[in-house]
Amino acid sequence: MSNLVVETTGREVPVAKAGEWVDAENGWIDRRIFWQDDIYALELERIFARCWIFVAHDSQLPEIGDFLTSTIGQDAVIVSRGEDGKIHTFLNSCSHRGNRVCFAEVGKARRFTCNFHGWSYGLDGSLKSVSRPQSYDGNANFDKAQLGLHPARVESYKGMHFACFDPAAPSLEEYLGDFRWYLDVILDNDEGGIEFIDGNIKSRLKCNWKFPAENFVGDSYHAPWTHSSALIAMFGKQPTMRPERSYHANVNGHGWEFGLDFIGNAATLNSPQIIEYLREQEAKFAERLGKVRSRMVGALSSANVFPNLSFLAGHNTFRTWNPKGPSETELHTWVFLNANAPQELKDEYRRGVMLTFSPAGIFEMDDGENFENCTSVNAGVVTRRQKLHAGMGLDSQIDHDELKGNVYQSQINEANQRAFYLRWADLMGAETWADVPVR
Amino acid sequence: MNQSDQIASCDNPAVPIVLLLEIQQFLYREARLLDGEQYDEWLELLADDIHYWVPGVQARYRKDDAKFSVGRMAFFDDNLEYLKIRVARAKQPSAWAEDPPTRHFHLVGNIEVEKTENPAEWTVHSLILSNRHRTEDDEMEIKARRVDLVRRDQDGSLKLARRKVILQQTVLQSKNINTFL
Repeated sequence: MSNLVVETTGREVPVAKAGEWVDAENGWIDRRIFWQDDIYALELERIFARCWIFVAHDSQLPEIGDFLTSTIGQDAVIVSRGEDGKIHTFLNSCSHRGNRVCFAEVGKARRFTCNFHGWSYGLDGSLKSVSRPQSYDGNANFDKAQLGLHPARVESYKGMHFACFDPAAPSLEEYLGDFRWYLDVILDNDEGGIEFIDGNIKSRLKCNWKFPAENFVGDSYHAPWTHSSALIAMFGKQPTMRPERSYHANVNGHGWEFGLDFIGNAATLNSPQIIEYLREQEAKFAERLGKVRSRMVGALSSANVFPNLSFLAGHNTFRTWNPKGPSETELHTWVFLNANAPQELKDEYRRGVMLTFSPAGIFEMDDGENFENCTSVNAGVVTRRQKLHAGMGLDSQIDHDELKGNVYQSQINEANQRAFYLRWADLMGAETWADVPVR
Repeated sequence: MNQSDQIASCDNPAVPIVLLLEIQQFLYREARLLDGEQYDEWLELLADDIHYWVPGVQARYRKDDAKFSVGRMAFFDDNLEYLKIRVARAKQPSAWAEDPPTRHFHLVGNIEVEKTENPAEWTVHSLILSNRHRTEDDEMEIKARRVDLVRRDQDGSLKLARRKVILQQTVLQSKNINTFL
């Protein structure tokens, strides 16, 4: 691993300005962070090349040789189950001329072989063989041990595998911090944990990746307005959000906005079977998680693990926002359910997410339009000089006996969005992880 | 029946030209209703037991599993109830993202009609091009291959009983699908 180099060190960029871009204390965001090429280039280095990025759930790669391809920032990676049974993540780019070595998005393989000159790599990314190896006989600088596909660190939390290209980054455990306590609401409300349903819906939005990420980290404010048409179509009315029984909570820029209504999100899946399952399990959830967290299992809520892994409890969908440029994002959507849940619920969740939170879903189709227009208007130079207001709930922080992390009263709030952008500014302004404060 | 009234298809007995024309007109009319957001009239073209399926397509190696399959994630895997919920949303005045309306364009081509074992049902292959424009310069295009089951209803009208839409894109190059394909 000694050949890993973090490119951010010493790069000449306006890092001193990171603090100006985000004024978390007063709730102002500089619009240039959604538009400028140099800021975006720095994000790829200082956010995506050194944070823990979600790459796969254990259930997606059950057997040795199972693989999928993904991206960390704009770096294409292969995620595979090695001969050692472990999940490996490495660049999908041959060490010889850089060609892709895997062209399928998912599958099963024994080797990843380059189409160009036949260099062939194992499931752990190590170079196994090349075509016409005799051509390298006596060649001192041809050392197969040094020519593997560049690896990322891989660590996991309760079946969720994350990869990180920065050897100096803290462990995943430290990176997630007390947010693990919240993640347990979905990852560990049942002894069997969760499993992902087969398939991954992918789509492109012409928006900056931060707009959807901040939307999931804390924006319940938009739901009754943006999604009015879908809510009326399904229920004939708006949902009830109770300020006194709902919260924003964040840790290290990861955040969850939630009510304690137990089934608010799940109710939009149009499935009585899902509601029945949740009701039947409620006492078990409470036994495992305690009363407060058990009320979050299917509640009106949304969340984001910094930087780009969003999810909805109740809807049971995970998604990642993969940057493809300052104004383009590729959305990957998955559906999960408890591994021990009745298998007939698989179709209920799968079809319910399609109906609501997929590109053709009646909720999500309104979101993309907003994210795209929030981005494209910044082509205007005067427009992007105008700061964005993110000041709701500035004085809403509370002490709570049970809830961990930084806690704020009312889910109609922008505390988590400010925490998300503060973490972003921390990383953008920091030369190394040592300069990034725990939040 | 005169030979000229019939059209040959590769692996199926001939289908009368009149029927071919009727099914073509049925698909063209459907496309025009979708272009005009006349969703209630569109729903009337569907059989009560409609299965409307737009599976996610994956780039997989030839030796591997199918590029799409039942039970895998999809954009639509709908019965009539689900389709009606989608239509109900599209019709709400508070569907802000639909005002000004999307300018829809559904082009249907390569129509091929095949007989099935049921004399009142035909398998219909076609290609669909859905082009959408919004506001000044927002343009989205989806191309797909369709396999339909078209049924002669008891009242004599044609109904769409099954539709499978196989997208060309594995990564949808659009922010949403606010139409039917």
